[in-house]
Amino acid sequence: MTRIAEVPAYFDDKSFDLFAQGFGAWPPEERMLFDARAATWASPYGLIGMLTAAQALREAHREKPLFTVPASDEVRRYWAKTGFFKHAADLFEIHGKVPRVPASEDSDHLLDITAVGASEDVHQVVGRIQERAARMLSDELGLEAKATMGFAMALSEACQNIVEHAGTSGWVAVHLYNFRKRLGRRVIVIAVSDAGLGFRRSLEATQAKRFGDRWGDAAALEAALIQGVSRFRDPGRGQGLAGIKRYLSRWDGKISIRSGTARLSIVPKWDDDVPLAENLPFFPGSQVQVVIPAQEGGAR
Amino acid sequence: MIQMIPLGRVLKETVSTPYRDLVTRPTGAAVRGWIQRAIAGSEAPTTMLDFTEVGLLDFSCADEIVAKLLLDADPGTEQYVMLLGTREDHAEAIDHVLNNHALAIAVVAGPGEPPMLLGRVTPELQRVFRCVFWSGPGDAGSIAESLGWTIERAADALLTLSLLRLLRAEAGTFHPLSQ
Repeated sequence: MTRIAEVPAYFDDKSFDLFAQGFGAWPPEERMLFDARAATWASPYGLIGMLTAAQALREAHREKPLFTVPASDEVRRYWAKTGFFKHAADLFEIHGKVPRVPASEDSDHLLDITAVGASEDVHQVVGRIQERAARMLSDELGLEAKATMGFAMALSEACQNIVEHAGTSGWVAVHLYNFRKRLGRRVIVIAVSDAGLGFRRSLEATQAKRFGDRWGDAAALEAALIQGVSRFRDPGRGQGLAGIKRYLSRWDGKISIRSGTARLSIVPKWDDDVPLAENLPFFPGSQVQVVIPAQEGGAR
Repeated sequence: MIQMIPLGRVLKETVSTPYRDLVTRPTGAAVRGWIQRAIAGSEAPTTMLDFTEVGLLDFSCADEIVAKLLLDADPGTEQYVMLLGTREDHAEAIDHVLNNHALAIAVVAGPGEPPMLLGRVTPELQRVFRCVFWSGPGDAGSIAESLGWTIERAADALLTLSLLRLLRAEAGTFHPLSQ
């Protein structure tokens, strides 16, 4: 038996839950088919979400999932340029024609989809991105030069979340695109996803008792993102997310973390997202999205 | 006597990376270990960590290097740490992590300028710290007189600064670290 997870036509953080719903009870017993034929666009969050799902299936010892590529040649080429198919080749049995496009010096991809599993990977990511980030933040988003260092710090801390807490490897991608629907401005999006423990399991031993009946995915996210709690007893821990929040408050950015069945966001005025969404379809690990918008009058 | 430690060079020796960035906790812990060994092997009471060649410093690495170095300092030893060559973003990360631990550190500014303090330091402590820098070593009485404070108030601030290892106390006299 094969179970179909339909890839939303417009696949971003908003439509992610629709995708997660396709798996039913986790891990699904049936072989999965990721049907991307109708896909017309995917954000970095959507792209690495698909890789995460396939990795989680592998770690749950399920049969290699099937993947049908987008019908649109343009979409296939775009996904190839992001590095998606390069990583997907190892995780999926791919059906359909995959264009041979080298992953990318595309101007909108600040960082192609990159695997993160160890501290050295974070060094690579941060080292590679700084020069291009400086140019994009200033030219495309109208941010001051000093925003670049904060951006790289936020990226570093988001990636370290995988290394420190996930118990497995994950993925990161950084793209620049036009947030026409929600904002009418250009944005840079950092997406980080892993198929690991998730926040609830990571914090359970130290925090479950404190929250009592309230303990669950939402409470775990609240402990980590709002209260700065870490599973380590070391008092210096938990500063990574605090640092990201500090950076985002300065540049009117948004952070959103989905783990298990909940998603918690710090929502700036320009967005209409809910701060907390509970009882979502389960999805393994943790997915972090950071959005930094062009400054008003600074967008191109 | 001051021992200088160029962190850019320490990074190259401890982590095999072509980059100049101090990022991640494992990197920070490795660099801190190197610094602690250097301090233990030196007779200089003050160690200056030079950030001049450092690219990015993230919060986790700042916590591992600077905050934990101060937290791990043996209270029985006369060892002091100062910073040099920090950029605005370095200072911001260090200030953030030190505040979290209620610690502080001095950063050497331009020639002849009093060091800048990062971390949890009240304006009152800042004032006493600058006073000692400008007037040189002194006791509670001389500092109280310079500031127009009571001796108790000055003594309290001087003691706090020495406990934070921002001044060196010696037989009731408080010395700036960089002199």
